[in-house]
Amino acid sequence: MTEKGEDLRKWRLPRGRHGLPREMVVRSQRERLLAAVVRVAADKGYEATSVADILEEAGVGRESFYELFNDKRDCILAAHAVLVDHLEATVRAVYEEPGPWAGRVRKSLAAMLEWFAADPAAARVTIVELAAVGAVSRKRFQEDFQRFTKLLEEGRDDRGPGRPQASELAIGAGIAKLYEEVVCGRTAELPSLLPELTYELLVPFVGEEAARTEQRRAAETVAT
Amino acid sequence: MSGVLDPTIPPDISEQTQRRRIIDAMVESCADKTYAATTIADIVKRASISRTTFYKRFPNKRACFDGALDSCIEVLRATAAAAHSSSDTPVEAVRKAAAAILELMAARPALAQLVMGDAITVEPAIVERYRRLVIPAMEDLWDKAGEPKRSYADPRLAFGRAQVLVFSKIAAGRTARLPDLLPEIVYIALLPFAGHDEAVRQAQLAGDGAGPGGPAPR
Repeated sequence: MTEKGEDLRKWRLPRGRHGLPREMVVRSQRERLLAAVVRVAADKGYEATSVADILEEAGVGRESFYELFNDKRDCILAAHAVLVDHLEATVRAVYEEPGPWAGRVRKSLAAMLEWFAADPAAARVTIVELAAVGAVSRKRFQEDFQRFTKLLEEGRDDRGPGRPQASELAIGAGIAKLYEEVVCGRTAELPSLLPELTYELLVPFVGEEAARTEQRRAAETVAT
Repeated sequence: MSGVLDPTIPPDISEQTQRRRIIDAMVESCADKTYAATTIADIVKRASISRTTFYKRFPNKRACFDGALDSCIEVLRATAAAAHSSSDTPVEAVRKAAAAILELMAARPALAQLVMGDAITVEPAIVERYRRLVIPAMEDLWDKAGEPKRSYADPRLAFGRAQVLVFSKIAAGRTARLPDLLPEIVYIALLPFAGHDEAVRQAQLAGDGAGPGGPAPR
């Protein structure tokens, strides 16, 4: 189970005539179901996950589930969307701070690696299990890929002689490395990859020397 | 014996064609609805065979997928090998092989989807198998040419990087435009072995002389 593995059922609202607004009850159920589907799918794989598993983990009834979602696919896709929104917001906040561009890339990358390392279940679901959902996962992947490419592109202040598709190259490197580490169960150690990935992301934009400089800075922050 | 009247039809011909049809059906179904959503019933229907025949050739869905993947990898390997000759410099050879592979995948979207998409999700360790095919072959190019080979970046990451780039094109429904990626793939492939500056130069060349797709759009 996840490090945040406390019992979701503790968050159940009181039963009976509690006088709470219906929206609040529904929101609580939805939040617990999203947290639950991520935990269960990360633990036993999306394919083996049943709606019953999700209900059990969330402490929500079957009827309430089907009022909110059509099926388990619908549920995991909703959870995936919330996670990716949060990841993007986290990375964007760091990326948009003032400072030289290469340094901001390095810090954003650090924030991203830490985001994944902090919640291995979220990492597993967003990076690996999404593909098990079926053909719609390709569309989602493409949307997420473009979203992060665009984010990187928007924040560029130098439009120097980098490779024309350097942003795709950079995001591609990030995803490839994340996938491999998460699949191999090394999610918690992701932050230690910062120096290597900083170099790989930056080199198509800024060339060998500048990328090595930033890699050294990354190594210093990892060491401390 | 090697006479004019030697029989040419192998006795296991029906077995081979059945296998071929099942594999083709698996490749198409994965492209259509992904491996995760593919059922034996889908394959049986597409291949126009009976369920019993399926199970005579493959014990299960996964074994069938592995057979399909082996066959796709063999096609790619042969294409890459045929694309360059021994007189090419290492960077030329890489450029030609990359171009041939992108062209092949553009022409055969289902194959591209299987190798670059589903294979990674069904068997994450497949990336390691691809690397064992590609990386020594590339190192060999430099060794044979007697050119100094420096290690600039980890070639293992290069592979995943290329795969993500190709897959994102496929996922966007733009498989036919894969040859547009040639400059980027050449860059990625050469970066670990030849360094950034040389990789940029070769990517530029690849973009200038790219196939029907022309240089990569900005």
